[in-house]
Amino acid sequence: MIEVKNLVKRYGNHIAVDQLSFTVDKGQILGFLGPNGAGKSTTMNIITGYISATEGTVKVNGIDVFEEPEEVKKMIGYLPEFPPLYPELTVLEYLNFVAELKKVKQSERKKMVKDIMEITKITDMKERLIKHLSKGYKQRVGLAQAIMGYPDVIILDEPTVGLDPKQITQIRDLIRELSKNHTVILSSHIMQEVSAVCDSVMIINKGKLILQDKPENLSSHFNKSGSLKLVVRGDRKAVLKALNDIEKIKKLEETESLEQGTISFTIYSNESDDAREDIFYAMSRINTPILEMQSIRMSLEDIFLKVTQDGTSLMDEEEGI
Amino acid sequence: MLAIFKKELRSYFTSMIGYVFISLFLAIIGIFFIFNNLLSRQGNFEYTITNVSFIFVLLVPLLTMRIMAEENKQKTDQLLLTSPVTAGEIVMGKFLSVFAILLTVIALISTYPLIMNLYGEVPFASSYGSIIGFILLGGSYIALGIFLSSLTDSQVVAAIITFIVFFITLFMENIAGSISTNHSTAFVFFSVIVVILCLILWNMVRNLMLTIGIGIIAEGIITAIYLYNPTLYDGAIVKVFSWLSATSRFDNFYMGIFDLADIIFYLSIIFVFLFLSTQVIKKKRWS
Repeated sequence: MIEVKNLVKRYGNHIAVDQLSFTVDKGQILGFLGPNGAGKSTTMNIITGYISATEGTVKVNGIDVFEEPEEVKKMIGYLPEFPPLYPELTVLEYLNFVAELKKVKQSERKKMVKDIMEITKITDMKERLIKHLSKGYKQRVGLAQAIMGYPDVIILDEPTVGLDPKQITQIRDLIRELSKNHTVILSSHIMQEVSAVCDSVMIINKGKLILQDKPENLSSHFNKSGSLKLVVRGDRKAVLKALNDIEKIKKLEETESLEQGTISFTIYSNESDDAREDIFYAMSRINTPILEMQSIRMSLEDIFLKVTQDGTSLMDEEEGI
Repeated sequence: MLAIFKKELRSYFTSMIGYVFISLFLAIIGIFFIFNNLLSRQGNFEYTITNVSFIFVLLVPLLTMRIMAEENKQKTDQLLLTSPVTAGEIVMGKFLSVFAILLTVIALISTYPLIMNLYGEVPFASSYGSIIGFILLGGSYIALGIFLSSLTDSQVVAAIITFIVFFITLFMENIAGSISTNHSTAFVFFSVIVVILCLILWNMVRNLMLTIGIGIIAEGIITAIYLYNPTLYDGAIVKVFSWLSATSRFDNFYMGIFDLADIIFYLSIIFVFLFLSTQVIKKKRWS
């Protein structure tokens, strides 16, 4: 459906997008995830034909964006970072204008505008001037604009910014609904959002693709650290001695205990070594009950932070191995 | 294109600008009409039209200042440029919407000679000739205004630049008259013009070889002519300015001369600036 190959965008010496390649299949929801300035919006602007690429190709349904922009633009609905609204028009006037601009047939126009206002829940506001709308409503009008004409591909740049939690859930449901008939690309810097909605997640930093996978698989890339959280009740000295005797434990950190009479540790071991059984036997030998033992999995946030801070491409590393 | 045309027209009349433009236009023309025709008992409507040809300098920036600049600022150009319309259609839709407002006003003032005709002799040929010239002059200013507005993303800056440029066009001939007419000044003048044009060209295409090539060829031609026959440059600046001056062309219409060359001149001015506006829009993709 969408094929992006070796996309590069340079602004002078600054590289905004660096050798980005990916494909999106029909009916998929792809999420771009990355910190601010990672190149998400730039990539979207290139796919929609708003700006050109320095190098690389983008094909939508097999048609090249740079060769036949008009054809591609017919197939794409785009909600940019700032919803492109005319403050002096009413919601209804604006959507009628967009429908006409996107070459929706006159006979279907009225119904489509009405339906889309229902879907995005802005029917109550249709007579209001856009400049009088709140941020959340503006965002929804922007979304309505992107859906207008029911294009094959819908590209949403941070669609839930400025919405309250209830609206966010509604918009997510809407996006899921849309993906039944459309291909959706959305961007976000919020991890949960992407993992809640998307079939596939791309983490981008400094214009480079760092990782692409299904949201549920993301954490598996990072679960090799082998750290454990341990809470025991017992004598501090004895426990420390017993733990220090276990060879598999590389590093021991005492953390603050929440319950009285307990001692908490964070235990680090090698990725390949599982120290849990050794700890169990060691503790049982000194008659110290283990209250909690838990391997620490990286949350999606941790992954995101780790990935974007390191700035290294994990995809390459894996291919190398 | 029709969508943009309708939307622009609607915007003019949901805000005050459309009404302000029409009422100021009619008020100014009305004042001159009263003094030139009614009070002085003259049927020559062309007197009024010539006297108010400065009106575009004052009022066209009002209509054109926001037309592109506001799209750039509100980022609504993103909607237009990612919709299945071409840059040409965008510019054309916008031009036609402003032009339609101008035509509305002119349709109203076209009835003045008819009204005067009820009470005496009116030279229709020169009256309506001057009105046609007036329309073309207005169209040229609108095209120029749209182009200047597309260069910036601030209405205020657009308004100021447009006003200054329009003002210069008004006094183009006078300015030219004050420049020395000897051939060496003209030679320097044209050389500088070529350099400026090359800089603009380079800014648009970003192709150094092409720009330098065209620059060298143009400068070469200018130098060759200068070496071959320097007298050709005598008074050339004035000629060029008055040839370019939109207002001096307008005088022909006023005198009832309906010259095809003048009509083509105005149409090409309109075409050139609308074309340049589409280039500015397209260029944004490549920046």
